Amino acid sequence: MATATEVIPYGEVRRDLWRPLAGASSRYLVALVVLSSLTCWGLCAWGYQLHKGIGVAGIRRPVFWGFYLVDFVFWIGISHAGTLISAILRLTEADWRKPVTRAAEAITVFALMIGAMFPIIHLGRAWLFFWLVPYPNSRLLWPNFRSPLLWDVTAIGTYLTGSTIYLFLPLIPDVAQLAVRANGWRRRLYRMLSLGWTGSDQQWHALERAMKLMAGIILAVAVSVHTVVAWDFSMAIAPMWHSSIFGPYFVVGAIFSGIAALLVVMSVIRKAMHLEPYLTPHHFNNLAKLLLLMSLLWLYFTVAENLTAWYGNEPKEMNVFGSRIRGHFAPYFWIMVFCNFIVPFVLLGIRRLRTIRTATIASVSVLIGMWLERFLIIIPTLSFGRLYATWGHYAPTWVEISITTATFAAMGVLYLLFSKLFPIVSVWEFEPHAEPED
Amino acid sequence: MFLAADFLDRETALRALVDLKANGFTPTDLAVFSDEPIELPRSVLHRPSHMSLAAVTGAITSGLLTIGFVYFTQYNYPIVTGGMPTFSFWATGVIFYELTMFGAIVTTFYWFLRESGLMRRRRHRAPAPVVEPGVISLRIECPSDRADAARHSLESTGAVNVRTIGDAG
Amino acid sequence: MNESNQTPHRWGMAIDLDRCTGCQACVAACHAENNLPVSDPESAAKGRAVHWIRVDRYYEGEFPDVRVKYMPVLCQQCDEAPCEPVCPVYATYKNPEGLNVQVYNRCVGTRYCANNCPYSVRFFNWFDPAWTAPLNLQHNPDVSIRMGGVMEKCTFCIQRIKRAETEAKNEKRAVADGDIQPACVQSCPAEAMVFGDLNDPESKASRLAGSGRSTRLLEELGTKPKVFYLQRAT
Repeated sequence: MATATEVIPYGEVRRDLWRPLAGASSRYLVALVVLSSLTCWGLCAWGYQLHKGIGVAGIRRPVFWGFYLVDFVFWIGISHAGTLISAILRLTEADWRKPVTRAAEAITVFALMIGAMFPIIHLGRAWLFFWLVPYPNSRLLWPNFRSPLLWDVTAIGTYLTGSTIYLFLPLIPDVAQLAVRANGWRRRLYRMLSLGWTGSDQQWHALERAMKLMAGIILAVAVSVHTVVAWDFSMAIAPMWHSSIFGPYFVVGAIFSGIAALLVVMSVIRKAMHLEPYLTPHHFNNLAKLLLLMSLLWLYFTVAENLTAWYGNEPKEMNVFGSRIRGHFAPYFWIMVFCNFIVPFVLLGIRRLRTIRTATIASVSVLIGMWLERFLIIIPTLSFGRLYATWGHYAPTWVEISITTATFAAMGVLYLLFSKLFPIVSVWEFEPHAEPED
Repeated sequence: MFLAADFLDRETALRALVDLKANGFTPTDLAVFSDEPIELPRSVLHRPSHMSLAAVTGAITSGLLTIGFVYFTQYNYPIVTGGMPTFSFWATGVIFYELTMFGAIVTTFYWFLRESGLMRRRRHRAPAPVVEPGVISLRIECPSDRADAARHSLESTGAVNVRTIGDAG
Repeated sequence: MNESNQTPHRWGMAIDLDRCTGCQACVAACHAENNLPVSDPESAAKGRAVHWIRVDRYYEGEFPDVRVKYMPVLCQQCDEAPCEPVCPVYATYKNPEGLNVQVYNRCVGTRYCANNCPYSVRFFNWFDPAWTAPLNLQHNPDVSIRMGGVMEKCTFCIQRIKRAETEAKNEKRAVADGDIQPACVQSCPAEAMVFGDLNDPESKASRLAGSGRSTRLLEELGTKPKVFYLQRAT
């Protein structure tokens, strides 16, 4: 699958990586218009929900959390793409990550921005969301710091700040180079963002030190963020939620879906921006192997969670478990297993089948499977509560489906805009190197 | 005055630096400009950094401030907990951890801006040579009487385009 | 609050399941007393109906030895309520008389409390409530109307508790056992429900709660509910 690339002359590198910044093809514009329309539709749906009341969504007693929480956990999970690729691979000095880091970091920031909207969208009185923030007020009210939702606020706020800084720092040298060659408003923008970067060794040293430190800190934050999101569920005493496995399970799932999202995005930008010499089969091969590894890890956690619930045979838990394995939610559960394990294992585990195309297919499958996994964590437990008389089924409405779709579209829009303003492959980090046969 | 010279590869730049240091120039007088980071041995151009220490200090400070904030505000505001403890360390442990990390992040970023000199005003900055792609530029700050010695060092080790920069451009 | 030289009240309830006939008079009374929103059949089928007290039906045995047990389930006013620590804005907390109060004005509608309640006694206002005529003329002025986006649940008719306590204070006497009857207790034709002060060992509710037939719902979760269900051990 892989071939050793020739060392590309530096001038050509810049030309190739800067070319997408100028002009816009008709494909780009069509994509932008379509995705923006979907996003606007979602915003209208949300406006309708704010106006009429949250009852326009399908949530009900006892399933008080539905699609919005599924989307929340899903997008925060996707945001772990950047952390893994950027931070872990930077700390382990894996050079193949270099052309991929900015794309990954951009995914992180945008996914976080989208995910952080959901705790506001799902509120009954969303216009009062700021009551969760401690600020002095005349009624002497204060939020409850012991609630996991407040932990969410601090965790996601910290992670968003950290990821934005982590995306911005390695952008500075690239933006400084662009500032020299741009005109008009772009030049002003780049000059402002470059903060006067001149490329002196003092600045490079400071940047490298900062990146190393940030990589370690971001890693610590990322693990905690998704653990905290998991603890929204496991701190509750609902059957099959109150499990200590949720913290690590969610982190593993997040990294898993993050890599899948990154693979899909990389596939798209490789084709759309003609970056074949820069995002080589070698990169996809490594990401595919990582995806396979995470798939196995995910399987391990899933088996552990379900086996212990089944063996323990606690009646209230068995109701939820049964509904997932052979009851009402069984089709979703087995589709999830197929998408998260069978497809990646076959397509990526068998070397002959592991190509860029199959890696992309496997990644899309994983994204579907991981969304289903979040769904299957939240809804069955709430549907089958501890008192049998309270059971009920949830069905989403067009409002929830519209908003969910809009988030994917919004991700696309943000990414399209980002790739027009900044080179999606980090120019200064790009070092074409001879790659081993694999 | 400021002298600038271009080198086409790392080895010649390194030789020039060693030579300049042998002639009595210190790392504070010298600056190497490039469009990608050049690995220079620490013995040649040592740039001390306290960023790690700053990050740790920032983290600890932020953590302590958080605990103080949560503790004192919860006792000073008339919150009604209905029997739950007013301040519970373990229940706020997560917030403490997150804001500790936040302190580390913000301090690191601030220290980066400080150490790199990026936020200094333009007029306080020393002139920087415009870096051509693939080329390494060296800037020397030297008094006029040592300029010739510097020039000699540069040219003998293979520099091209030795020039003065600053007011002369 | 009562006179300073007396211990504070701790309100609880005893419900005798062997007397309950499942007539649901308590449900209707609660609707009337507390301005509960009324649903249409469609919304009720979608799980949007609000019944602060509901009667759960449990069938035991096989035909022809079937027995039906009716269990009125209302907010258990737990001493260690799982709904309290998870509310991010302190909209629900235990007041000094042991009631778990819901502050409608403070609620932002995260619905975490409802997810954490194992008895599922919390209800959410999905829309601003509306009553078809002439029900809109029948509101109780002592009870506020909740807006959409706010959580609500049984309050043990706190308006009746407050009224009795104020009257007692004005008359310079203590609240007597039986002075306060929440709407459900008042309307039960089988007199299956008893409300009283659990801190007063002589009150009927305390004595029933201490009887051999007394159990609590989902007691193993450690929520320490204050509603005691009296039923035969078999």
